[in-house]
Amino acid sequence: MTAAPVHPARSVLACGEVRTCLLPSLQALDIRAAAQLLRLRADEPVRLSERPSMHALSPAMLTGVDCRLPSSNGSKVRGVGTVAARAALTEGRLLQATAWFSVPATGPDLRRPWGQYLVRPGLVEPFGKLPEQATADGVLRGAGRGELDLGVIAEGLLAQLRRHALLDRRVPFKSSPTRLRWVARREPAGERASLTSFTLAEAGLRTMELRLPADVPAASAAGLCEDLALHDWLLTTVQHMLDNSRLGAAGGPSVIETLQPVVVHLLHLWMPRAHVDPALAHLWDVLEERPGFSRQWENLSRRIRDRLALQAVAAPQQALSDAR
Amino acid sequence: MSDAVFQETTAQPRTQSVPLAHLSLEIGHLYMEDYEAGPKRLGEHFAEVRVWADAVRASAARRGKRPRISTCFLIDDYFSRFSTPAELVPMILKEAEKAGLVIDYLARESACAVADRVELAESVMHRLVESPPPGSHGSRPPVSRTGWLANGERSPSTSRSALGAVKGWQPPQETAARNHSIFMDVELWSEKDGRRLWSCPFLAAVWQLARLGLLRHLGEPVLVPTVWAGSDFPQEWDRLPPVVKLSDTNAAFSAYRTCSLMPNRFVAVEDAVRLVLDQIDVDAGALRQVAERSAAEGMPVPAAVAQRATYVFYEEPGDSSEAEET
Repeated sequence: MTAAPVHPARSVLACGEVRTCLLPSLQALDIRAAAQLLRLRADEPVRLSERPSMHALSPAMLTGVDCRLPSSNGSKVRGVGTVAARAALTEGRLLQATAWFSVPATGPDLRRPWGQYLVRPGLVEPFGKLPEQATADGVLRGAGRGELDLGVIAEGLLAQLRRHALLDRRVPFKSSPTRLRWVARREPAGERASLTSFTLAEAGLRTMELRLPADVPAASAAGLCEDLALHDWLLTTVQHMLDNSRLGAAGGPSVIETLQPVVVHLLHLWMPRAHVDPALAHLWDVLEERPGFSRQWENLSRRIRDRLALQAVAAPQQALSDAR
Repeated sequence: MSDAVFQETTAQPRTQSVPLAHLSLEIGHLYMEDYEAGPKRLGEHFAEVRVWADAVRASAARRGKRPRISTCFLIDDYFSRFSTPAELVPMILKEAEKAGLVIDYLARESACAVADRVELAESVMHRLVESPPPGSHGSRPPVSRTGWLANGERSPSTSRSALGAVKGWQPPQETAARNHSIFMDVELWSEKDGRRLWSCPFLAAVWQLARLGLLRHLGEPVLVPTVWAGSDFPQEWDRLPPVVKLSDTNAAFSAYRTCSLMPNRFVAVEDAVRLVLDQIDVDAGALRQVAERSAAEGMPVPAAVAQRATYVFYEEPGDSSEAEET
């Protein structure tokens, strides 16, 4: 064999996409059912955590790719390797799938035997030099035709889970899924990770840019992004329910019917940093400072409780006046 | 994370390590008909194997002083059943001994499908990550649902061209071709009466992974050898443990590298095994352990798993097919 020797390529960029949605099941899953749902492989355990909130994480599955890397400037760089994907279930209620990969600055000009890619899971090698900026921007913008598509891989995993026999495919209330695309620039080991941007775009799309020290695995960045995506989904969903201007008005949806599922299914899910690598937990602080994720959540929770309290006060009076 | 006060064992994946020799040397892989031909024929096999086994030991000694080498022997009890362990095993051991060979570990092929109630072949099947042909951007299904695994793109099926002009034949394409393709398509299993029958190359791939110390079930080792203390072997194959330790060797069953000595009619099977091994995403923890320990011993393993397996294909003693035809 004259195959190029395999040297551990240092990645300069990690990219991913998280999709977050409500689990299509009337009842939230308990921890055993969650483990069953996410057991994507018979021989590898699902990671389960019950404190401070119930969280189940599937093993990472690989998808082989050989295609152009996403690009913002039309540069056509072929990449070969594997994309990792995993699913997470929080409190048996919120389902997420993340697909991610890392890229080194340069790669060989020929395709290696496939087994050499498989021993470095989640690494995609460019043919030649990586146009770092164009690839990062391309990932955030979304894959073009024929380009490596993280969204398709994450969605494929979600679709597979939604078909699981454990699920009745019914939802306790309507909601929209969200997508969060992220890119992380690699920094020298020992530097402090930082969050450089978090952008709310239209149609449930969020983008995020990070700086990640070399000693923090890309899977940890994926974990942080899952945590942020989950809390962003909660804010988005609850805000949307309260924003319905006809809520409680004559002919509009009833306050109790609309807000009751929020109380039952969502209010207790707010638990920032719960399952985030400690090396990255401080990245939450930036978002707590501005716009203030938790502050907004407290405000929303208070509004819900106030609306329900008002309803409770109003209901007996309504009953009294009806009786007259 | 390790300095955290609070920990949950179910939240941290853990891969138990296994003892590892330098080389796992397989000194025979025969079909039932080879045993049916009687002890003489088995003896001829071992006499031939002995020569190559010595060569392999000499080669290993070049890599490092005092190499730890364990020998193993696989009996096919999966595709057909012949005789009983009580009859067959002593005959194999005796013929090997006559040739000056010691069998340290004896395994049953059906254990590569299911061992100790763990569906090993099924688990390995879930770890297949197909080599993507150029143009794969993530939308291909992750695992073969067809029961076939190829080293490239198949010829497009001609039945679809009914709508337009009939397209001519298109060649298949090996993904890693050098100038020209050597396309291979391997059947991993077949279904009969609702029962899945794993193919010989697929079980042999599981066997290679076991010998390379890369199989785990929920982080625990599988196919752990059982020391056979009794003198009599059981009357039924199912009562023989999946892997039996027969000698007092200190060399472990699993090793950094494998070498298999087999008749040259197995070339195609083993080529298929390499095709399968090249597309398995093995347990990351096990992979790391083997890489670290082999490097620490100054004999780092090749990165790709398939490259860790070597073979010697020898000419079979006598020509059995001719003998049968006459």
